[in-house]
This record gives sequence, C-alpha cells and structure tokens, in this order.
Amino acid sequence: MKQYFNKKNIYNPLLALLLSMGFLISCNKDVQQMGDIQQPVRSGETLDQLLRNNPDDSLYYRLMIKGGQVAMISDSNKSFTMFVPGNDAMKKFITAISGGVVVPILPNAVFSQFITNFITTEQAAALVQYNTMPQAITTSSIPATFPNFFYPSTFNPAPSISSLFRMDVYPSTRNGAWLNNLPLTNVNTTAYNGVIHHCAGLAVPPQRYLWDRINTDTSLAYLKAAINRADSGSAAPGFLQGVLNNIGANLTVFAPTNDAFQITLKGLIAQTLISQGVPQQIALAQATALSSTPDVFNNSLLYSVLTAEKVKGLLVYHILGSRAFTNNFPRNPTPQPTLLQVPGMTNALPVFLNCKFGMPFVDSATVKGLGNPAPVNIIINSTPLTADPDGTSDQLYLNGILHKIDGILMPQ
Amino acid sequence: MRKLSSYLVALVLTNMLMISVYAQNVTISGNVKNAQTKENSSAVSVIIKGTSSGTYTDDKGNFTLTIVKLPATIIVSSVGFEQQEIILSTSGSKINVLLNPTTKLGQDVVVSASRVPEKILESPVSVERVSATAIRNASGANYYDILKTLKGVDVTTSSLTFATPTTRGFNSSGNTRFNQLIDGMDNQAPGLNFPVASIVGLSELDVDNMELLSGASSALYGSGGMNGTLLMTSKNPFKYQGFSVLAKEGVMHFGDDERAVSPYHNFSIRWAKKVNEKFAFKANVELIQANDWVGQDYRNYKRIAPGGYVTPGNRSSDPNYDGINVYGDETTIDIRSNVLKPIATTMAPFLQNFIDTLNGGRSIDVSRTGYTENQVVNPTTVNYKMSGALHYKLSPKTEAILAGYWGTGNTVYTGSERYSLENFKMGQYKLELNNKDWVLRAFTTQEDAGNSYNTTVATRFLNESWKASGGETGWYSQYAQTYLGYRLNGSSDAEAHAAARSYADIGRPAYNSAQFKSMYDSIRQIPISQGGAKLLDKSDLYSVEGNYNLSKFTSKFADIIVGGAYKSYVLNSEGTLFADAPGSPITTYEYGTYAQATKKICKKYKLSVSGRYDKNQNFKGRFTPRATLTYKLAELNHIRLSYQTAYRFPSNQQQWIDLAVGTGVRLLGSNEYFSSKYNFTGNQLYDLESFMASPSTEVKYDPVEIKPEAISSYELGYKGLLAGGKLLIDIYGYYGQYQDFIGRKVMVQFKNPTGPHSIADTSNRYYSLPVNSTDKVKTYGFGLGCDYRLRNNFSVGLNITSDQLTDVPENFVAYFNSPKYRGNAYFANSGFGPSKRLGFNLSYRWQQTLLFEGDFATGNLPDVHVVDAQVSYKLPTTKSIIKLGANNLLNQYYYNAIGNARIGGLYYLSFGYNIY
Repeated sequence: MKQYFNKKNIYNPLLALLLSMGFLISCNKDVQQMGDIQQPVRSGETLDQLLRNNPDDSLYYRLMIKGGQVAMISDSNKSFTMFVPGNDAMKKFITAISGGVVVPILPNAVFSQFITNFITTEQAAALVQYNTMPQAITTSSIPATFPNFFYPSTFNPAPSISSLFRMDVYPSTRNGAWLNNLPLTNVNTTAYNGVIHHCAGLAVPPQRYLWDRINTDTSLAYLKAAINRADSGSAAPGFLQGVLNNIGANLTVFAPTNDAFQITLKGLIAQTLISQGVPQQIALAQATALSSTPDVFNNSLLYSVLTAEKVKGLLVYHILGSRAFTNNFPRNPTPQPTLLQVPGMTNALPVFLNCKFGMPFVDSATVKGLGNPAPVNIIINSTPLTADPDGTSDQLYLNGILHKIDGILMPQ
Repeated sequence: MRKLSSYLVALVLTNMLMISVYAQNVTISGNVKNAQTKENSSAVSVIIKGTSSGTYTDDKGNFTLTIVKLPATIIVSSVGFEQQEIILSTSGSKINVLLNPTTKLGQDVVVSASRVPEKILESPVSVERVSATAIRNASGANYYDILKTLKGVDVTTSSLTFATPTTRGFNSSGNTRFNQLIDGMDNQAPGLNFPVASIVGLSELDVDNMELLSGASSALYGSGGMNGTLLMTSKNPFKYQGFSVLAKEGVMHFGDDERAVSPYHNFSIRWAKKVNEKFAFKANVELIQANDWVGQDYRNYKRIAPGGYVTPGNRSSDPNYDGINVYGDETTIDIRSNVLKPIATTMAPFLQNFIDTLNGGRSIDVSRTGYTENQVVNPTTVNYKMSGALHYKLSPKTEAILAGYWGTGNTVYTGSERYSLENFKMGQYKLELNNKDWVLRAFTTQEDAGNSYNTTVATRFLNESWKASGGETGWYSQYAQTYLGYRLNGSSDAEAHAAARSYADIGRPAYNSAQFKSMYDSIRQIPISQGGAKLLDKSDLYSVEGNYNLSKFTSKFADIIVGGAYKSYVLNSEGTLFADAPGSPITTYEYGTYAQATKKICKKYKLSVSGRYDKNQNFKGRFTPRATLTYKLAELNHIRLSYQTAYRFPSNQQQWIDLAVGTGVRLLGSNEYFSSKYNFTGNQLYDLESFMASPSTEVKYDPVEIKPEAISSYELGYKGLLAGGKLLIDIYGYYGQYQDFIGRKVMVQFKNPTGPHSIADTSNRYYSLPVNSTDKVKTYGFGLGCDYRLRNNFSVGLNITSDQLTDVPENFVAYFNSPKYRGNAYFANSGFGPSKRLGFNLSYRWQQTLLFEGDFATGNLPDVHVVDAQVSYKLPTTKSIIKLGANNLLNQYYYNAIGNARIGGLYYLSFGYNIY
C-alpha cells in the first residue's frame, strides 16, 4: 500500500483532499421561502384604554361598563369602529330620557349614577352595540354617496332569529361626517384594535316601524287615512301598510301634515264640485267641511274623486326606496326617484331634494314634486341631537326615515 | 408469401450446409485472464484475423473457436485492455492469454454518431459513452444516475425511479424533445409521449453501454431528438454469459421532514447462456423497492395563465393558499361574489355594504383545505423490470433476435399535475435481424396506465366527496357564513378565516383514516371521463425500421447508408386522456427515410452528409439535413464541425389531449376536431393573458394548425488525447436557432359570446392550446471536459458546460430549464491496492441556480451541489464485488424541478456476482 502514497504520488491524496474540502463546504440551500403575508402593523392603546383614560369619555365608558361591553373593546384580536359621544352629548341624552329631571349643569357623578341606576344592562348594551360597527373604518373608507351608506352595527336585536342579523347604522361623509343625522366632531382616533369617531350625540337604535309612527301620531291622521284608502283597492289590498310595517324595507317617507292634506283636499273637492255645477261659494264651504276630518277618505261620495288607485299613486310618490337623512341631501335641487312607476316609463318619477346648512346641522330642506309649483318644506326637527318620538325630520325607524312636510308632493 | 417461403427454405438449407462445413474444421480452446489481477476475463472478443468469425470468452474466461485451417491468427481484445494477436499453428493444446490493462483514454467505440462503429475520438458530433465497466465503478445506486455526471446533461428527478435526462435545455419530467432508444427501440410511452426508460428499460446487469448524443439528432433518429438522443444497448448473450446477481441494500430519508429513515432494496438477476455457436438466450429480472422521495414544497403558489409564481403566505395566513405539493387546495372561489353577495341579495340586505367593503373591496378568494403529497401518494415506489431475448445466428453475419422488455411499478411524475403512476405497465417486444451490413427491426410498445391517477384531481374530488363545495349547506356556504359572522363580531380577517375554515372542515377525514382511504380509493378507480381521477391509457406503438450499409458497393465513392422507418400509434384512453372514445381509439402514423454518405478526403478529412424525410399523417413532410466534417489534426486528435437540424412533430398529446386539469383549465390538442367539439367558431376564444392585462383589449384567437418545431444547430468541437495519451480533452461550442417553437397559451371562452365579458364569471371556460411561437428563439452554449489518467490507475476528471436561450419573446414560457453553468468533477480508481482489488469513485456535481418553468409550477431553483461516492472491493475467487456507496453523500437535500420530489442521501451496500 505504501507505494501508492509515496512522494511521487503525493499529488493524489492532495488532490483528493482538495476535492473533499470543496465537497464539504458545498451546501445546498433550500428553495427560497417567500415568508408570510405582511399584515398591517398595529400599534397603540386599545379602544378600552383610550376610552378609559379620556375624562371626556367617562360617561360613555360608564355606559359600556353598565352594558358589559368593555370586554368586547378590550379584545386586541378584534377590531371595531366606535361612535362615542363625549360627556356633553351624553348629558344631553340623559337629560332627555330623564324627562329633564337630570339637568346638564349637574356634575358628572350624577349622570354616572343615573346610568348605573336607571338604565338597564340590556339598554346600555344595545346603545353601545348600536354605536359600534365591526371592523376599523376610518372616514376615508366611508363614502360620501347619496343616499346614506348603511353598515351593520354590532347590535343584533334578535339573535335567536339569526346570528347574522345586525341593525344598520348610516355613516356618511357627505356634507361633513355623520352617523345617521348626528355630526361627528372628532374623527379617526386610531387604537390598536379599532378607531374612534367622536359624535355630537348618542345614536339610539330604532324600535318602531314607520307604520307605528303614522298609525299613532295624530298629526299624521290624514296620512294614515290616505294609506287606508289606498290599501282598500282590490289590486293590492294592504300593500302600503304592509310595506311600512316590513323590517326588510328601506324607505324615506315624506309625511304631509294634516294641514297640508286639508288644504290640498279642500281645493281638490271644491274644484270637483264646481265642475259638477255647484256654485263656487257653496262648493268651497262643502269642501271645507268634507276635508276637515281624515274621514274624508272614507266618504263614499268622494270615492270617485279619491279613488284608491289615485291615492295610492299619490302616496307612493312620497316614498323613496332608500334612507335619506336631510344632512345627506344635495345642496342643489337634485332629482331622486320615488317608488312611483308610471306605465310606459322606464324610470320612476322623481322628486327634487335640496338642503341648506347652518352649522353644523341642516337648517332648511325642501322636496319638490314634478307638479308642485314650488318646493315643499321639510319641517326641520328642533332637537336633532336627541331622540324625540314626535320629531319632525330625520326620524329613524326600523324600516326607514320619516320627514314631515308642509305640503303634498304632486307628480304632475 | 410464396417468395418469402422460398427465402426461408434457402436460409435453413444454408445454415444446415454451414453446420456440415463446421464439422470438418479444427476446434481450439483457451482461457483469458487479466494480467494484473489474474482474474478470468469474460466477454473478451476472440476473432480470427481477416474474417468476421469469432467468439467471446464465457463467464469463466474460457473460449472455444472453430478454425477452418491452421496456421491462423486470432485477435484477443476487450475495451480497457491492450489488444493481442496470437498465431496458432497446432491444435490440441489449450491457449492461455494474459491481457494487459491499458491506461489509454479515448479507446471507446461509438455507433450512435454515424450509425456505424467509429472511435469516439473521430466522432463527428458530441457524444458521450458509458461502458459496463464505468457502470460497475460508478457511485450511483442506479446506472441511470451516471447520466447526471455526463457532460452537459440535466436530469429531472420526479421520484426515485422516474428520472428524465436531457441536454442543451428543455429539462422536464416528460421530455418530448429527447429520444431514448433501447436496443434500437424508441422507448417513449405511446400515450404519455415521452421516454420511460428509467422504469421500463434495461436492468442494470444487462446494460452493455449507453451512448448519449447531445443536441439535435433528428437527421439520424427521426422526430424528437431536438435536444439529444440516448441509446442504451443491452448485453448480447453470446458475449456476456453466465449467471449474475446484483443485490443492493440501502437506507434513505435521513433528516427527511416527511419520511422516516427507511430501507432501499434493489435486486437484479441475469442469466445468459450460449447454448451453441448459433443460439444463445438471456433473461433479466430487477426489483427496486423503497419509500419514495416525496414532493414537499409547501410554498404558496399563485396559478395564473400561462404559468404562475411562488407567493408569500401559508395555510394559516392566506385563505387562498395553494401549496405546490399540497393537493385539493386548487379548488378556489371568491366567496364574496359567489356566496356572500347572494346572501345579501336574498336574505340580508342590511349586510350589503358590509360585504362590499370586506377585504378592502377586493375579492375574497378562499381555497379548500388540501392534503400534502405525503398524505395522498403511495409512499412505496416499486419497480419490476423483466426482459428476455433469444438470439439465433442465421449465418455468421446474420443474427436474429426475439426480445421482450417489460416493466411495471409505482412512481410519480410531474406533468401539468403530479401523476401517481400505480401499476403502470409497459412492454416492448421486438423481432430483429441484424446483419453486418443491414438491420431490420419490427417492434411494438404496449402501454397500460394501470391504476394511475391525477393526484390533484383525486384529492379535489375527495374534498367534494366528504363535503361538496357548493350548495346551501356546502363547504363554501358554511365557510362564508362563519366568516361573515366573525367579521360582524369584530374579528380580524385572519381570525374570521381561521374560524371559518375550522367550522367548514368539521368532518374532514384525516389522511390516515379508514374513511379517507375508502373515499380516495374509490375516486381513483373511477375514470376521469366518468368524474374520477383515473387515467385509462392503453395506447400502443407499432414500428418497422431498417437500414442498409451500401459501403461494400459504394466504398470507392463513399460509404453510404440508407434506411427508413414506419410508426403507427393507437391512442386508447377511453376518453380519459385523449379525444377518443371507448372502443374507438385514435390512430396516427408517420414514416421516414434517410440516407447518409461519408467519405474520407486526403486521409485527414472525413465528410459526412445525410438527410432524412419524415411525414406525419397530420402534418406536412419534413426534411432534415445534416453535414459533418472531421479533421484529423494529429494522431488521436480531431476537430469536428457540424451542421445539424432536428424537428419534432407535435406529440400525440399536443395533437389529441382532451383533459380537464385541476386548475380549471382544459388541456386540448391542436387537432381541428376540437374547434367543433367546443364550438370555437360559435363562441370565440380570447387570449386570457391579454385580457387579464387589459380587459378593454380583447385579443381574439382563432385556432390554427400548429407546425412542427425545428432547430438548426452549428457545432465546432475538438477531441483529442494529449500528454502521452493520459489527458483526454473534449471541447465544443454550439449555436442553434429554434423555429415554430411549440408552447401553450390559455384561452378563455366567455359565457356570453356577445359580451359583456368578465373574468369573474364562473361560467367561463378556459382552454390551454398548443401554439407556435412566431419568433425565432436562439440557443448557444459550450462544453469542456478533461479526463486525466494518473499513475496506478487513478484518474481525475472535470467538465463544465453552459447552455443559454436568447430572444425569447416577452411573456412566452419557453420551459428551457437549463442552468447557465453546470459542472462535474471526479476522482476515481477502478483497481488499486494489493491485487488491484480496491476501487473507489468520488464525484461532485454542481448546477447553477435557474428559473424552472413547468406547467405544474414555476420558480427559482437554488444552486445544487451533490457528492456521490463509493468504495469497492473485489473477491476474485468468487468473482464477486462488494461496494459501499452513497448517492448524495452529504445528504444535502435538493430539488431539480419545482414541484418534484426533494432528494436526499441514499446509502447502500451492494454485492455483485459475476458482474462484467
């Protein structure tokens, strides 16, 4: 064996050694791993920490504690958008629901006590959940479209019926930033697990249907009677009432006041009587008498004038197939389709919407029918920040919005 | 027929006459030994000088030869030994010959380069030869592994028993541009259209030699061979006799993430006997069994037309995760448009905007949960090879051979998907008449896909089987509603997806459960055409070919060879692969004829001109010329210059495939039949890639007949012996140009012919159609190989090669798949130490990083470094050799194709008896 590794053959093992070294330093790399998907980096305090540490949010935080909702916003794995009324807004809300007993000048502790003692856990939970949306949504992601953008809150009033059901809220960045018809005062405070938009008021989840309001509000008695007359027709009995009672509907109802109906009906009846040969003075007197009560729609003598079909058509012209808060109205008269579809026409007949802003709210809004010589006024609510069951504009119901108007919209 | 009968009668009479002539002759006998080791030397040629009469030594080194008259001279020769001439003047005594091993390089004789035997140094084109001796001393566990060490060769390893070699690019599992011939028979599986020699080929004990032609070679071997041809020749039983055994026991999967360490078994038996001077036979059996290498690339893959790319993410972070070697997760939909929006429309309008804003308004693509390759593919790879041959010498110059080669087994290969070949069977049977001047061969290839199936399709159907994707209670409905619920509760996207998958996957069978096995077994037994995953391929090939060397008539002018071939394919997949139907297979044929003239000029030049004309039933005829010139620079030093052309008719699959693959795309052939079947005239096709890049730009596509692709190649090379015959240098450079390159493009047929067209419409249909590139793609490269013979039989060698492709049109997927540089080095000795009994081989392979493009997956492959090694010890008294070897000695796991198996170290101990 020695002969193979003598001096002359030393290059053999040397070569082998060099090759071996080359082999040993050779190392295969694995195929290039592409890593994981880059997730957005989140930082900062949680929603819970932000609210807990902000003195101006103390009353709302108290409401959250009462409703057992703190755990929800403490969960760093989840994310939410919270519409938070500051203490002043909370005080106004409490003043309103206490019937004015708890006045705003009282110290915060009083309001805090009120929340603890007079608001039930279920009510508090519903209020917080209604003012909270799933996922973090900054105002840049909220469209400025008309009508309002709707988005589910975290409030499910009927979990036993469907786990996916959520009550919608209506954020908007049109003409400012809004939740329903409440202005947002300070937006896009980002937290680790969400975003906070401070709100000028506390949005209250609706509990009634449009029909409930119309059915019980005596100031809308003519409207109710008209609906009943319209629904008495044989083609689709109970149609309008059914729509106004339907949870799946999504409407804006322009509700003429009783006076508005009286004026219009009086003119219509008088004109009919005159055309039948009744002297003008007598006709006016009879028309005044006939139109003085909502029963005018049940007067069989006037059935030929106020046919169910005609009344139905007129009423449908007062309804939009979407929710439109006045703060979302266009600032110039702009057509918006109603539910009135005329045979032979592709598009539904529109009404023209318009609004004017004071700061921060709408101080006037109008709607004009195609046959109206002048716009009809929407009667602006005097207390926009609180939920008034008898309010006039921007009244939110389970299936739509109601605006009282001082005239009848005429389609032609 | 009467004429043929008379020929046969004449043939028999001639042979009887010759037997009577033999009876009057002198019979001599002898023995040949290795002068150094004193081992008996078998398979040594003993020829009577001046004649073609001769014999070979048997497995004990003995020979018997009949001589007409004395005195006579016999020539005793064998590759690796110095030739001896012995003058015989008396009969009766036994002749003992001691052959001295030679250290000279470049002594090999090759046939493939010119269809006639010539010294490898004088070959007019680049050719590599692997002898039986080289196989015996190789470090690879399988003789096929040696191909990886040859100059310029790339090998794609789909699994342990499925390797596909190629040269000069276009490396893939099913390579239709590289011919493999076994004993003259085209080894392609008629249905699959690519060679399967690694599983249905020669057993290791029966390999006499392998010759590899790099680059274009159609001028001699017909359609295919664009990138080279590998010719494997088995051992003739007249020459290699006796009983041989080779047993290898190994272990593999050390450090494998998916497989435990497991054994490797490889047993081969060969028995060959020369019954008399006219008749010999042989029989071979080989078994390989092991736990296969497994594809375990779990990176996330984005499938887009015409290819795809690896993308970040995994099953946890990407709801639409599609792992490369994970199957079933190719099923994907956008749950927003397909599930959530319908929910909002019909049941929950209050969620409409919420659903629209999820995921930033982008699609919410979700894939079903898949299973890894390790979980769905049979881990055991088995390969049985059996072959046998009867050789009968009709005359001293004419040998008749009746041979059969049959193989079966389980393996995995990669096409557009990973296909599990289970009980795949293929047999090749031939009858050949082999004369000194001519060859006539008829053979058939009978393919049976057995229980082979598409793993992707099978796993997707398995998912559908335990829970359907669609429907109100389907997997996607459950997933989407759970996802929606979690998002409504404020959960993050990831948390919601995780919860949704967890809920939808309730009831998902574990891969090792009885439920899984039952479902999976059921699905893979159902043919694809009936909604299953099984491939029913029983295609056949019938071929007749022959050539005649006219040199004895034309040698004054030139050495001329003429030949021809006829092939007929019967494609029978019962509609599971091709556009055939049960009982109505598709038949196609092609034929060709060629001629070659070679002339030596001024003793230093050898000019060869050849041409071949081929015609396929469905395509116009092709003429492929070749011209070569060799110049003898000095003794044993030659310069070669060649112009070669090659072409490839579109493969049977490219003509007739009709297969829906797992990605929702239907692979179609080019035949015009498909235009009417899928109403391409009534509902226009559009280029998907163009549409996706710019939906407003709709590029219409009207199917046109594709042309055969072709290459013209120029090569300049030098091969010679230097340093007193101790240094062999082989160097070459080439330049080629592809024309009518065949690739595929994905087309879309929109649901609404008149528009509007949307890619989101789930009713759209997608077709992958073969197309020709209108651009001319260029390729060039070089190779350099050095072998140096050191003292005492040590040898060292090195080769480095480069292949490149240029002028590839933008967005055209060429599937070139060749590293810019690769190299091999070795240090070996086939006999050293006391009595020259020790041997070793240490080899190193390197391949530079490359972008691997495949129908299944595309991605970057990192550099590959592999060390193979073996040490051996001969036991001459028992004619045995013991070898301890390793493939991938350092256990450096690597891939050589994206989506293929991950390959690690294989360590084995082998015992061979009577190995030549």
